[in-house]
Amino acid sequence: MAGIPITGSLVGDSSRPGQRTWANAIVRWLFICISLLFIAAVLLAPLATVFIMALSRGIEAYLHAFADPDTLAAIRLTLITAAVVVPVNTVFGLAAAWAIAKFEFRGKSVLITLIDLPLAISPVISGMIFVLLFGLHGWFGVWLQEHNLSIIFALPGIMLATMFVTFPYVARELIPLMQQLGNNEEEAAITLGAGGWMTFFRVTLPKVRWGLVYGMVLCNARAMGEFGAVSVVSGHIRGLTNTMPLHIEILYNEYNFVGAFAVASLLTLLAAVTLVIKTLVERTGYRRR
Amino acid sequence: MAGADRAPGSRVSFRQPSILPGFGLTFGFTTVFLSTIVLLPLAALVLEATSMHWADFWHTVLSPRALGSYRLSFGASLLAASINLVFGFIIAWTLVRYEFPGRKLIDALIDMPFALPTAVSGIALTTVFAQNGWIGQYLEPLGIKVAYTWLGVTLALTLISMPFTVRAVQPALLEVQREMEEAAETLGAGRFYAFRRIILPTVLPALLTGFTLSFARAVGEYGSVIFIAGNLPMKTEITPLLIVIHLEQFDYRGAAALGLVMLVISFVMLLAINLIQAWGRRLQIRIAR
Amino acid sequence: MSIVLDQVTKHYAGLPVVNDVSLDIGDGEFFVLLGPSGSGKSTLLRAIAGLSGVDHGRIALHGRDVTHVAARKRGVGLVFQNYALFQHMTVADNIEFALRVRRMRAKARRERRRELLRLVALEGMDERLPAQLSGGQQQRVAVARALAHKPEVLLLDEPFGALDAKIREELRRTIRQVQRELGITTVLVTHDQEEAFAMADRIGIMHLGRLLEMGAPHELYSSPATRFVATFLGAANLFLARRTPDGIQIGATTVAAAERAGGERENEVVTVVRPEEVELAATRAALSSGYLASGTVDEVVFTGALERLRVRLEKHQEHTPLLSSGEADSTPTLQVTRTQHEQRGFEVRPGQQVAVGVRRVHVLPTPLSSFTACASSAARAEALTHQPLLAELVARMKTRIGTRIEPQLGLADAPCQGRDTFVGTTVISSGELCAQEAEWLLRRGARDLLALPPQAQVPHRVLIHWVGEAARSATLAISASVLRHVPAEAVYVGIVPGDAAGTGHGQGMRELLDARSEAQAAHGLDMRTELHYGEGERQLALRLAEAPGQMLILGVTALADFTTRFQALLQGPWPVLIVRRGRA
Repeated sequence: MAGIPITGSLVGDSSRPGQRTWANAIVRWLFICISLLFIAAVLLAPLATVFIMALSRGIEAYLHAFADPDTLAAIRLTLITAAVVVPVNTVFGLAAAWAIAKFEFRGKSVLITLIDLPLAISPVISGMIFVLLFGLHGWFGVWLQEHNLSIIFALPGIMLATMFVTFPYVARELIPLMQQLGNNEEEAAITLGAGGWMTFFRVTLPKVRWGLVYGMVLCNARAMGEFGAVSVVSGHIRGLTNTMPLHIEILYNEYNFVGAFAVASLLTLLAAVTLVIKTLVERTGYRRR
Repeated sequence: MAGADRAPGSRVSFRQPSILPGFGLTFGFTTVFLSTIVLLPLAALVLEATSMHWADFWHTVLSPRALGSYRLSFGASLLAASINLVFGFIIAWTLVRYEFPGRKLIDALIDMPFALPTAVSGIALTTVFAQNGWIGQYLEPLGIKVAYTWLGVTLALTLISMPFTVRAVQPALLEVQREMEEAAETLGAGRFYAFRRIILPTVLPALLTGFTLSFARAVGEYGSVIFIAGNLPMKTEITPLLIVIHLEQFDYRGAAALGLVMLVISFVMLLAINLIQAWGRRLQIRIAR
Repeated sequence: MSIVLDQVTKHYAGLPVVNDVSLDIGDGEFFVLLGPSGSGKSTLLRAIAGLSGVDHGRIALHGRDVTHVAARKRGVGLVFQNYALFQHMTVADNIEFALRVRRMRAKARRERRRELLRLVALEGMDERLPAQLSGGQQQRVAVARALAHKPEVLLLDEPFGALDAKIREELRRTIRQVQRELGITTVLVTHDQEEAFAMADRIGIMHLGRLLEMGAPHELYSSPATRFVATFLGAANLFLARRTPDGIQIGATTVAAAERAGGERENEVVTVVRPEEVELAATRAALSSGYLASGTVDEVVFTGALERLRVRLEKHQEHTPLLSSGEADSTPTLQVTRTQHEQRGFEVRPGQQVAVGVRRVHVLPTPLSSFTACASSAARAEALTHQPLLAELVARMKTRIGTRIEPQLGLADAPCQGRDTFVGTTVISSGELCAQEAEWLLRRGARDLLALPPQAQVPHRVLIHWVGEAARSATLAISASVLRHVPAEAVYVGIVPGDAAGTGHGQGMRELLDARSEAQAAHGLDMRTELHYGEGERQLALRLAEAPGQMLILGVTALADFTTRFQALLQGPWPVLIVRRGRA
C-alpha cells in the first residue's frame, strides 16, 4: 500500500479571507495529536517493548539467547520455509498475472476472487484444512502412514500451510499493475518477431519489476511471520518443527522473556526491513493503483 | 483489451483471441496450483463438516462454549473495526491533509501491523498492557484491566486491523479534489456543511470497505490474540482458539464444523464488500441530500 | 461598478504573482483576463472569489468591500476548469446545492433548477450523475450550479480548457448567451486569445503579475501599447524605426505616423507591423504601399483561408533594424499572411525574390527601444552586453543590443568618437568613474542611461524618483515600460527637505498623490509611494542599501554638479536608470 504524498494544492492557501485561522489550527493540532497518541499507544509502545525486554538483562543475555540450539533450529526452519515458499508463489503470481492481465476469458473475475480467498480465511482454518487432508485421521492419513510419509507435524505441512497463507501476495500486486500497463508493448514485441519467453523476460518483467519486488517482500514477511496456520500443522516439536513465531510462543509460555523477545526482535527487524524496502520501492514511482 | 472487438459471426469462445502467447501454460498452471493448494483443502473442510450428522453439527456449533467464543470474536472484532473507523479516518485525514514533522515516518509505520508477525504483536501488547506494563500500570488503579480480558482482545484486533481502514480511506481522501471544496465554498457552504455533504459522502464507500476489511481480518485473527486473551472458556476464548482446541483433541469434525461457520462468515464478508462497492454510489447520493 | 480592484497584490514565496492590479469592471460587462500561464490571472480570479487572500489592496463587489469577506459570503459564482462537480450528486442536487445551503424550499428549488437547466440547454438531465455526462455537458452543469444562487458576479476559470474544439465553440456561445440574458457581470480567465476576442466586451492582458493593458478587443489588437501585448495578441513583426519630423522612417520608407509626438525631437521608436499589413510584390514598383526592403521567401504554408509566409529580409542599410526574432545577429525574418485574393494576384514560391511593402505601421508608445553598451574598449563593451540583467531585459523586450566604443569616455572636453547621436538606452558599467562617465555621456546627448553593476540581477523592487519636474513625465513613462518586463514592485520615493515635523510635509504628500495618479492615468502603472525626509541623494542611497534586489529609476533635468551629487548613488551594487529630459 502506497505512502501518499501531500500535494501543494491540498495544503491550500492559508491566508484565505474570512477563515477563522485559530479554529483551523485547533482542529489541525487536535487531529495530529490524536493520530500520534493512537499510533504511539497501539504501535510504538509495543515495538519499543520488544527491544527493551530483549535487552533487559543486558546485551550478553540477548546474544546468549541465540546460542540456544532450539532457537537456531527455529531460525533455520523459518529461512528454509521462506526460501521455498516465496519462489513458488512468485512463479505462481507471475503465471496468474499473465493469464489474467493479458487475456480476456470467461470466469476471470471468479478466478481473481479465488486467488484472494486465502486472505479472507482465518489462519487457523488455513492450517486446519491440511490437517484434515494429511493428518493422522485425515483423508490421506492412513495412506501416508503406510508409505511412511509425514506431512503434518513435519516440514512439508509447514510449507503447505505457509504457501496457502501467502498464496495471493505476489499475484495481487502484479495483476492490477499489469492490467494498468496494458498489452501494447508485448503486442509490439510479438509483431517484431520476439518469442513468448523473450517478450516476457525483455518486455514484461522489466516493466513490472518493482511491483514484483513489492509483492515478494510482502509475501516473505508473511511467510516468515505466519503463526496461526503453522501452529496448527507444526506439532511444536522443539528443534524440528518450530518456526520462529512458534518458538516465541514456547519461550514466552516458559517465562523465558529475554529469549522470547530476542527472537521477536529479529522478526521486528525483518518487519522494519520490509517496510524500508517497501518505502524505497514506492519511491521509485511504483504505486498501488 | 486485446481482441475485445471480436469479428462478427465468429464463434463465441471461452477466450477472446489475442496474439500474445502463453495463455495455455499460465492459465493451466494457475488453475492447477490454485486447485491443489487452495480449493482441494477447502473442499476437504466442507466435506468433513458436512459429513457430520445434523444433530452433531448443531451440537458442536451451538454449544455454549462455541456461542461464547462467537460472542467474543464477533463482538470484539466489531468494536475494533468501529474504533478503527473513527481513528483510521482521523489518521488518514491527518496524513493526507496536514504537513508535520515525522509525517512520512508515521505514514510508513501504518503498515507495521501488516509486516509484523502476529506473535510479536501479541507478546508485545501483552507486556505493555499487563498490570505491571508501561500503560497497564496506569490503567490498573482506574480499575481498567486490559490484558487477559475482552478489552485486551479488542486492543489486539484494533492494532492488527488498523492499516486496513487507514489505507482504504487515504486514497479516497486524496481523490476529494480541492476544487470540489472550493466550489462548495463559493456556493455558500460552511466548513462543516461541506465536510458533511461533500467529503464524507465521497469517502464513505472507502470507509465502509475499510470497516469490512478490518472486521474480516479481526474475526480470523489468532496469533496476537491468544497471548493477551487469557483464553478462559466462555470468557476470553476466541473461535479460532476453540478450533485449535478441537484439533488438539483430534476432534477433526468438531473443528471442521466451527471452521465452516467461520468460512461462511468470511464469504458473507467478501460478498458484503462487493455489495457495498456497488451500493456505495446510491448511498452517497442519499447521504448527500 | 460591479467589481473594483484597487492595487491588489499577492505574493507567493516572496515573489509577487499579482502585482498592484487595479481594475474597474462595469455592470453586466463581460471581462476577459488574458495572459500566458503563470501570469497571475487565475490567482487574481481566486482572489476575487475569496479563495485566496491578498497581501495588499482592496477588492469591492457592487460597492461592498469584500477584501476580508469569506468566499461563501461574497455572492459569486465560480466555474472551474475541471468542472469540480460533486461526483456523488445528481445534476439536480449539484445545481440545488447553493439553494439547499440557503434553506430554500423544495418547490422553489425545483423551479429554479428547471429554469437553469433550460438556460444551459440541459433539460431533462436532472437525475444523471456527472460521470454519465460528457465534458461539455458537465461544464454546462457547472455553469448552472454557479448561477443557482443568483450571484452578482460570475467567474470562469479557464472553463473550456479541458474540452475539444467543437464543444468549446458551442459552449462559448451558450455562456455568452446566458450572460447577455442575465446581464450578469462576468470575468473569464483564459490563455487563448481567440477565445478572448470571441467573448470579451473588454480584455485585460496580464503578464508577470501585472495588468499590462485593458481595452476593447479591436483596440488592443490594432494599437497595443506594449511589446508584450503586440506579440501576445496575434502575430506581430516588431521593427525599430526612427521618428522624424516627416513621419516614421522604417526601412527605406517613411510613413505618416498616426500618433504625432508633439515637439519631441528625432528619436528611435518601436513599431508593430501585423502580418496582414505586409504586402508582397515582384518589384518595388508593383507595390501599392510603402517599400520596406527586398527579401527572399523562406516558407509558404497554406492554412485554408489564409496563406502564411516567412520572408527573410536582406541585411539592409542603417535604418532597417529589425527585432522580430530578438536575436541580434540572426537574419531577420518577417511573418506575412495573405488572403486568397492576394495569393491569386501574386503567387509566390519558396526561394523567390520579392519586394516587401507595409500598409500600416503602429508605433508603440514605449520609450524604451534598444540598448547600446558603451565602454572605453571593445572588450569591455562586449563584456557589458553579457551582464545578466541586461541580457534578461533584452530577451524579455525582444530587442536589440549594440555596442559603442568611446576610448575617451569620461575625459572632460574630449569629443565623441562614435556617431554624434545616441539611439535608445545607453548602458555603462557602474563603478568609481561611473558618475563622471554618465555626466560625459549626458552632456553629449544621451537621454536614457543605464548604469549596471556587473552582477546585478532582475530586481524585485524598483524605486522611482526625479529631480526636476521636467523629467517627471518621461521618468514615469520609462518606469512603466521597465516594469512591464520586470516582475517587480514599483515604489515612488518622494523626498522632502528637513524632517517630518517640517513644513514640507503637506507639499510632499501632494506630490506623492499626484505622481501616483499620473502614473496610473497616463501609463497604466500602479505604484506604491513612500515619503522620506532629508537630502535627496542620501535618502535614495540609504533606501537602496537597505535590501538587495532593488533598482533605481532617476529622472534628472539639469546637469550642474552631476558628478558630485550622484557619485555615491552610481557606485552602489544596484542598477540605476537615469532619464534626462528638459533643457540641456
